[in-house]
Amino acid sequence: MSDAFGQDVRLALDALWKVLLASLILGAGLPAVFALAIRSLASGRVIIGRAVAGVLLLVVAYGVVSGLLFIVASGQGKDVSFTHVIPQITEKPA
Amino acid sequence: MSAETLALVLVVATALGFDFTNGFHDTGNAMAASIATGALKPRVAVAVSAVMNLLGAFLSVSVALTVTNAVVKTFDSHATSAQDSLTMSGDKLLAIVLAGLIGGIVWNMLTWLLGLPSSSSHALLGGLIGATIVSSGWEGVNWVGDGTKLDGVVGKILLPGVASPVVAVLVACLGTFAVFRIVAGVAVKQVNRGFRWGQVGTASLVSLAHGTNDAQKTMGVITLALIATGHWNSLTSIPLWVKVVCAVAIALGTYLGGWRIIRTLGKGLVDIEPRQGVAADASTAAVILASSHLGFALSTTHVASGSIVGAGLGKPGASVRWSTARRMVGAWLLTVPAAAIVGGTMWIVGHLFGLAVGSVVEVVVLLGVAGYLYLRSRRQDVGAHNVTDAWEIDQAAPNVPADLVRGGNR
Repeated sequence: MSDAFGQDVRLALDALWKVLLASLILGAGLPAVFALAIRSLASGRVIIGRAVAGVLLLVVAYGVVSGLLFIVASGQGKDVSFTHVIPQITEKPA
Repeated sequence: MSAETLALVLVVATALGFDFTNGFHDTGNAMAASIATGALKPRVAVAVSAVMNLLGAFLSVSVALTVTNAVVKTFDSHATSAQDSLTMSGDKLLAIVLAGLIGGIVWNMLTWLLGLPSSSSHALLGGLIGATIVSSGWEGVNWVGDGTKLDGVVGKILLPGVASPVVAVLVACLGTFAVFRIVAGVAVKQVNRGFRWGQVGTASLVSLAHGTNDAQKTMGVITLALIATGHWNSLTSIPLWVKVVCAVAIALGTYLGGWRIIRTLGKGLVDIEPRQGVAADASTAAVILASSHLGFALSTTHVASGSIVGAGLGKPGASVRWSTARRMVGAWLLTVPAAAIVGGTMWIVGHLFGLAVGSVVEVVVLLGVAGYLYLRSRRQDVGAHNVTDAWEIDQAAPNVPADLVRGGNR
C-alpha cells in the first residue's frame, strides 16, 4: 500500500508541473496579452494601436478557440494535439 | 413492481437530484466573478451559465461508466459485454450508489446553506466511500489505485485536492499582477469595459467545461444502475433519455443560481474588480482544461476559489478576507469524511429494511433533511437582489443565519 501511495505521489508531481506550466502560459499569459491589447487600444495612436491590439486579440482568440475545441473533443472521448500549432482532434491515448 | 425496479427508479431520481444540486452548487465557480464585477447582471449570468451547461452536457458523447471506480471498484473496464462488466451483484451496487448519492446531496445542501463552495464530486465520492466501508469493509475502498496511474482516494481526491488550489492561487496571482502592471495609467473606465468582455468569454468557457464534465458523471452513474438491473446492454453508449434528463437537471440547477455560494465567492473572499475578474476566470479555465488534458482530476470548485484568492493576492495593496477562506478550506477538509458518514449511515438504514423498503426510507430521510435545510435558508434569503451587496467588514459569513456560525458572526 505504501508503495502504491508513493507511486501516486510521483505520478501526481509528474502531472502537476505540466499542469502548472500550461496554466501559467494560458491562465496568466493570455490575460497579460489581453491587457496589452487594451493598453494599445488606449494608447492614443489610433491606427497603430488598433493594429497591434488586433494582432494581440488574435493570440487570445487562438487560446480561447483551442480551449473550446478541447472541451468539444473531450466530450467525445477524444483528445487534442497541439504539436502542429493548429490544434487537431486525436484519439485519446489508452 | 419488483424490489429491484423500485430501487432503480429511486436511484435514478436521486441521481438527478444530485445532478441538480451539482448545478446550483457550482454556478458560482464560473459566474461569481462576472456577477461581482457587474460584467453580467445576476439573472443574465446564471442564464448564460445554464445554457452553457446544457450545451456542454449534450457535447458529452463518451461514456463515463468508470466514474465510481475512483473510490470503489464496481466496473471492470476490460469487460466486453455489459453483463460481465460489474464486479458486484446488481442489488449491492444499487444500495451503495443510492446511499452514496444521498451523502453527496446532503453535504451539497448543507454547504450551500452555509454559503460554502465545496466540491460536488468529492461529496459524491465521499458518500460512496462511506457506503462501501460499511458494506464491504475497509478493503472494499480503492485507496491508492494500483500504482500504474493516478487513481483511488489518494490519486483522485487527496493529491488533486491539495494541489489544485495552490496551482490556481499561483496562476491567478501572477496573472493579476501582470495585468495591473500592464494597464497601469490607462483610464479605469476604458480598462473595465474591455475586461468585462474578457470575463464573459472566460466564464462561458468554464460553464461549458463544467457541463461536459459533471453531467457526464451523473449520466455514468445512472447508466451503471441500468446495467446493474439488466435494463441496458451497451458499454459504448448511453440511453438518449438519460442524457436529456441529466443535461436538463444540471442546467436547471445552474439556473436556480446557488446565490449564497456566488456571494461568498464573488464578494466574501475578495472585493473583486474587472481586471482581477479576467485574471481569475482565465486562471480557472486554464487550470481546469490543462489538468483534464493531462489526466489530473481537479475539482472545479477548488480551482475557482483558489483563482479568486490568487486574484486578491496579486492586486497591489489588496486584501483577502482570510476568515472566509478558512471556513471554506475547513469545509473542503470535511467534505469526504462528512459525506462518508451520511453515506455509510444511509447504507445501514437501507440494509436494515431490505432493498425495496430501505430505499424508500432512505429517500424519505433525504427529502426530510433537504426540506429542513431549505426552510432554514429562507430565514436569511440570498438571491439575485442582494447577491452583490457589500460584505460586512470583519464578518466571516454574513450570508449565513447567525446561529449557524460558531461564535456568532464575528
